[in-house]
Amino acid sequence: MTLERARELAEALDLKTDRELDGLQLGPPHEVMSQIRAYLFRRSEEMKTKNNPIQLLRFHAADEFTQIDLGPSFDKGSTSQHFHFDSGARLSFGLTLREVERRSQIVSYRYEFVFPDGQSPQYLRFDLNESPHTDPLAEPRCHLHPGIKDVRIPFSVHNPIEILDRIFFVLESATLRSR
Amino acid sequence: MPEFSSQPFFEIARRLEIRGENGWLAVLSPATDSSAGLDQLQADLRSVLQKPTRAIQLQPSTFEELREAMHQPDDDAVILSSGTSLTQEKWRSLDIMRSALERKGPVILWLSPGDVANLTGYAPNIRSFIGASIFLAGPDGSIMTDAERQERLNDLSQHFGFTGDEAVRRAEAGESPHEPEFVEWLVLLGRGDLL
Repeated sequence: MTLERARELAEALDLKTDRELDGLQLGPPHEVMSQIRAYLFRRSEEMKTKNNPIQLLRFHAADEFTQIDLGPSFDKGSTSQHFHFDSGARLSFGLTLREVERRSQIVSYRYEFVFPDGQSPQYLRFDLNESPHTDPLAEPRCHLHPGIKDVRIPFSVHNPIEILDRIFFVLESATLRSR
Repeated sequence: MPEFSSQPFFEIARRLEIRGENGWLAVLSPATDSSAGLDQLQADLRSVLQKPTRAIQLQPSTFEELREAMHQPDDDAVILSSGTSLTQEKWRSLDIMRSALERKGPVILWLSPGDVANLTGYAPNIRSFIGASIFLAGPDGSIMTDAERQERLNDLSQHFGFTGDEAVRRAEAGESPHEPEFVEWLVLLGRGDLL
């Protein structure tokens, strides 16, 4: 195995990501927004911490593109715009969609789960870039930041609700158990 | 026309969920872009109720067609759309067949503002199914305001260390950073076409 071979495999993985994105079946952007809002609303009802998904979620449509945001674009500390968990963790995300023939294609996303203060790693972040990087080994198109700057681990493409499943039912659950 | 509570579709769907499986309510469609409003109402009903949702046009459905559509299946959510205002005669006919309209799943009447008086005057039995649950289609509380968009644009400019104009120039030159935030920046600038 050589570095060259590792890069070839990383390129192949990015191509697989393209195919997985093509296979995602999403309704029009307002429907994706509605599903996310209902999902967050349902989760909020199961928690002690109060969140208002209607106020936290922001929707912006321009031509065929839609931006769905929750929380700030950059996490610089806890804000009232974040979604707050019972564990003390917080969530922000941004999702960009392109509407094609009354369906949505995912252009890119970022979901950042920040653990409570003092916990290591400090955060996990799920990213999908809009296009492949020239060095897909260092930066796969779909990747997980494991809380270490400039380290990106390949990650499979998930639809927006599935990522929230991982955050609520895996990350938050584990964080609660560890306290 | 009496004053009705203005509610976003998501809240209307939540109220229907609270009322139970076979609840009835009416929503007054917005004066403009009723078709887009109907799409959004359907999406919120599907998401909140976790049920398939159908829209059925009251006009020109016949009695038999309507009865069949309401019961095959009878446990999904159905939106009965009046389209442009129904005639008084049509409201009377619907009221006579009210028992045939009863079903397991919820029913939402999608009305133009002019339909409310006819509903009350010529379909009192259907009106009683609905009770006080008549809502105006209200604005979606999640739409990003101009001030919020501007605040995000400022944050993005500060993070990347250059202006929105420079972001557009770099995107046009194929020099876009790979981060999802840069994509967000272009979309908020109204330049998604550069992606």
